[in-house]
Amino acid sequence: MKLYLRTGEGLPEADGKAKEQLSVCILIGNTGIIFIMPTVVVMDVSLSMTRPVSIEGSEEYQRKHLAAHGLTMLFEHMATNYKLEFTALVVFSSLWELMVPFTRDYNTLQEALSNMDDYDKTCLESALVGVCNIVQQEWGGAIPCQVVLVTDGCLGIGRGSLRHSLATQNQRSESNRFPLPFPFPSKLYIMCMANLEELQSTDSLECLERLIDLNNGEGQIFTIDGPLCLKNVQSMFGKLIDLAYTPFHAVLKCGHLTADVQVFPRPEPFVVDEEIDPIPKVINTDLEIVGFIDIADISSPPVLSRHLVLPIALNKEGDEVGTGITDDNEDENSANQIAGKIPNFCVLLHGSLKVEGMVAIVQLGPEWHGMLYSQADSKKKSNLMMSLFEPGPEPLPWLGKMAQLGPISDAKENPYGEDDNKSPFPLQPKNKRSYAQNVTVWIKPSGLQTDVQKILRNARKLPEKTQTFYKELNRLRKAALAFGFLDLLKGVADMLERECTLLPETAHPDAAFQLTHAAQQLKLASTGTSEYAAYDQNITPLHTDFSGSSTERI
Amino acid sequence: MKIFSESHKTVFVVDHCPYMAESCRQHVEFDMLVKNRTQGIIPLAPISKSLWTCSVESSMEYCRIMYDIFPFKKLVNFIVSDSGAHVLNSWTQEDQNLQELMAALAAVGPPNPRADPECCSILHGLVAAVETLCKITEYQHEARTLLMENAERVGNRGRIICITNAKSDSHVRMLEDCVQETIHEHNKLAANSDHLMQIQKCELVLIHTYPVGEDSLVSDRSKKELSPVLTSEVHSVRAGRHLATKLNILVQQHFDLASTTITNIPMKEEQHANTSANYDVELLHHKDAHVDFLKSGGGSREGSFKETITLKWCTPRTNNIELHYCTGAYRISPVDVNSRPSSCLTNFLLNGRSVLLEQPRKSGSKVISHMLSSHGGEIFLHVLSSSRSILEDPPSISEGCGGRVTDYRITDFGEFMRENRLTPFLDPRYKIDGSLEVPLERAKDQLEKHTRYWPMIISQTTIFNMQAVVPLASVIVKESLTEEDVLNCQKTIYNLVDMERKNDPLPISTVGTRGKGPKRDEQYRIMWNELETLVRAHINNSEKHQRVLECLMACRSKPPEEEERKKRGRKREDKEDKSEKAVKDYEQEKSWQDSERLKGILERGKEELAEAEIIKDSPDSPEPPNKKPLVEMDETPQVEKSKGPVSLLSLWSNRINTANSRKHQEFAGRLNSVNNRAELYQHLKEENGMETTENGKASRQ
Repeated sequence: MKLYLRTGEGLPEADGKAKEQLSVCILIGNTGIIFIMPTVVVMDVSLSMTRPVSIEGSEEYQRKHLAAHGLTMLFEHMATNYKLEFTALVVFSSLWELMVPFTRDYNTLQEALSNMDDYDKTCLESALVGVCNIVQQEWGGAIPCQVVLVTDGCLGIGRGSLRHSLATQNQRSESNRFPLPFPFPSKLYIMCMANLEELQSTDSLECLERLIDLNNGEGQIFTIDGPLCLKNVQSMFGKLIDLAYTPFHAVLKCGHLTADVQVFPRPEPFVVDEEIDPIPKVINTDLEIVGFIDIADISSPPVLSRHLVLPIALNKEGDEVGTGITDDNEDENSANQIAGKIPNFCVLLHGSLKVEGMVAIVQLGPEWHGMLYSQADSKKKSNLMMSLFEPGPEPLPWLGKMAQLGPISDAKENPYGEDDNKSPFPLQPKNKRSYAQNVTVWIKPSGLQTDVQKILRNARKLPEKTQTFYKELNRLRKAALAFGFLDLLKGVADMLERECTLLPETAHPDAAFQLTHAAQQLKLASTGTSEYAAYDQNITPLHTDFSGSSTERI
Repeated sequence: MKIFSESHKTVFVVDHCPYMAESCRQHVEFDMLVKNRTQGIIPLAPISKSLWTCSVESSMEYCRIMYDIFPFKKLVNFIVSDSGAHVLNSWTQEDQNLQELMAALAAVGPPNPRADPECCSILHGLVAAVETLCKITEYQHEARTLLMENAERVGNRGRIICITNAKSDSHVRMLEDCVQETIHEHNKLAANSDHLMQIQKCELVLIHTYPVGEDSLVSDRSKKELSPVLTSEVHSVRAGRHLATKLNILVQQHFDLASTTITNIPMKEEQHANTSANYDVELLHHKDAHVDFLKSGGGSREGSFKETITLKWCTPRTNNIELHYCTGAYRISPVDVNSRPSSCLTNFLLNGRSVLLEQPRKSGSKVISHMLSSHGGEIFLHVLSSSRSILEDPPSISEGCGGRVTDYRITDFGEFMRENRLTPFLDPRYKIDGSLEVPLERAKDQLEKHTRYWPMIISQTTIFNMQAVVPLASVIVKESLTEEDVLNCQKTIYNLVDMERKNDPLPISTVGTRGKGPKRDEQYRIMWNELETLVRAHINNSEKHQRVLECLMACRSKPPEEEERKKRGRKREDKEDKSEKAVKDYEQEKSWQDSERLKGILERGKEELAEAEIIKDSPDSPEPPNKKPLVEMDETPQVEKSKGPVSLLSLWSNRINTANSRKHQEFAGRLNSVNNRAELYQHLKEENGMETTENGKASRQ
């Protein structure tokens, strides 16, 4: 007895139904395009942030003003260079509050900055728990996030203070585990509204360093160099921007066809094996296309990350003029319009990839590749995307080694066929997997019983089923020999002998001969003597004189 | 993830001593009689497996799952131990498959119950296991060679799984001590050897197995560190299916596996095609395929391996031309490989179909989180990103740089991509100098050649819009040409000459130009120039490419006789047509000039106005084709002079031309032209002297 998948093409009558069902439209999780690396700004609004900063000859500033100044700078930078980034703003003291949920509207964020009240004491742990919840609710556990924590280095007192949290960090149950490391890929940047000396005078710096350590070292602490003033805050945030918010510019190349592009979000360095090769790999700024492959052949490959590839117009000095994305600003508008009308390789590539249903394989570095393809959202807007494969000589087993991929013109005959009706992919592995090679497993009695039944079923249809009968018999014989299960061979031999006696009178005389022969051979094998129990030797059908017997084909 | 963790090397040591021939005392009914035939027949007595059979089939199942999920870089060395150690295979990748192991086990056969128990011991096998762990694998060797001075980064760790029947806890202690001692000795040996490696870490997993119904003489013990190098754990397990279950749990622990049950798979039986039922199939795979469940606190507790995550079969299947965003793909192995539902599912997938899997939810929207798909006979569980379903708003490519340009050569580039598709070259190839040729570098070379001259938009090119040029354009980019290719190129060129002679229209784009665009002879100039650019880009490929260029240069130049004839003709007909022609040309030229200044646009639509702006605004956009020849005019005559003998074709076409020219009166402008350009307003020049030099501007004064 065989089972067929009901929706499959195993049975003809199933076809019609299956096709009808195909018209049902469903929402697949990945239709929402996610190419973002969201940022959560976590702002300390405890009372200590209102401590005044003495600046000679000017009006009095508080630390929170400095913080707001720095964040304004960050938001402005992102509004110009990271238009597609999502940012959320959380404020905290002993409680925390999500002031602005993830947004691309930097005006809203800016407004929120200027409307912050002052609250009680610092309680960092609960705020970090809050960040976990917000990010996981919005993005799940796979999207990398940057957390920018702005604080003055006063870490609270008593219960809920960072010192207390760290001291009790090892005594947690699963339900109230310490929020670090974040349950998603993350960077934790701590912006201190204090200088190094001030932090070192207490154990604040140590505690903050512990936080980074707890986040598996992912992150960094920034302090103000020199006296606390607007200028030095600016330079501190400048360093953060350089580190984490610099746009990634690259040149996309296909032979002599090139385009300047911004890759968004920035591709992160990747460590393949921390033991053998601990140096993180960084992608080239030259993205070189090496060839093309059909989407059906590349077949939804696993990727580390995916990125928008946005063509950019560079002026003579190499500064970015714009991505050509329309903007409110009038000056930019005309510049963008010009850029929009200059032919760009990205647009050509995107159009053809989309029409042909292909991807371009792109080299990202030594033994590191990715693919470029057209990605459409539900509104029929589409764009050029790049996905990064895992670094290594063979990121996708079904393509084989990347270095061994060459141009079809080097092949003796076109591997895609003259009518484009075949493909050299997928590559077949040397050894088949267990489910593709009819292995014998007798761990459950049903496995053994099925195999014995198969022999028996064919035995009753001898001599028509002579071939299958011996095939199944030999399969059982091999397994029994390998497992040292000689009793089984004897048992099956007995069974075949009994079958012989049960043959109806109408049975073909050959049936009896074959059954007896098979039983005899099994008995010999069950002795385990090397002469009859050789693994590679098969039991072959008995040669008989009955004309038209299928055995002669052996 | 570390490549050279403990799971890189697994040594199985299976006891082959006489007591392992003992029955496991768990019966298997193998004679299942079919109902209507059973009258009066007593089924054959059930049989039972020996301890040996149970051990071997359980360890084979361990290997089956491991090889399915990690066909590379996870290696097994199989040793059986009786009066000595029999090492059944090596660390080499070729030895790593079930067939090899099964054949080797068959050669060993079951233990001989009549052998002398005194000279048999599991110790032989354990010593051999330590020895084999010191042996370097091809992967370790490769990594060490690659790392050069950092070779010490390559670790040597391993695991010994020993299945035996121990006598007591102290017997177990003795086995552990022996392994400890042997590691110590062999590490000393390995320190002085180039092809052996010291064992940094060894995990000893001792499995004591005994017949069902007996009391165990050995107690379980969880993992314990015996020395910095050796940890050991003891499992006391009844034989039969209990042993198989234990090894199944161990393989999941050792290789970080997790289980997924696909539920609601609709199947129908062959005999009853009308009825159908839903089946479940359990699969094992690397636990990273559950990364989303684990992180979102779905709560799989440590150490509990019974847990399986259920995913629902999704009916509308996905087609393979859709590119899913997949964050991971993990090989699977069915838990119950030969069961009918399992093989039904795997065969379905092996036939090249994919199926989406959704998370079972009581309410709310469907969340599709995984996909099962086979690639070349291997089945993978793909993890699809499902974290945020809000539709984001990415910019469209049409809003960015180059997004407003509408005449990209999309179809041509599609053809280009198809020609530059990749294919695997599995056999190494060598260059002429004997060095290894990297196919991927060849692919890059080809892209370089194919893009030397590749205009991106239709209005930038003439030749790529002409069917007649295809035979040349498709072969000239090749690294080398055959005689036939050269012939085809020459034919193409002759064909173009013929077209020019017949005055066939050319597909020159009028986008961005006003009036009727450049005149016919001007169009041909543009076409020839462009063709020359293409051919010149490849002349260094080979001598045959050079020949194509020679042919091109010879053909595009007018034979001298014709020039002569034209000159003579001009003088003769000059006066006859002068006034009439001048008026006509003046009208044409005037409208041309006006539109150039964006004045004579009344008859044009707004679209064309916009196109005019393209020219004005963007320096990189295609130059109006009528500008080009002005620059190149000086060069052409030189080329002509340097040309050698006239080709047979041009001789012949000249003859035909002459013959034809007798049948009609030649257009005055053409007759008077120099290099196919006719000078206009010559009468003005004659009348006013030097003033009318520039394109008849003076005429409007």
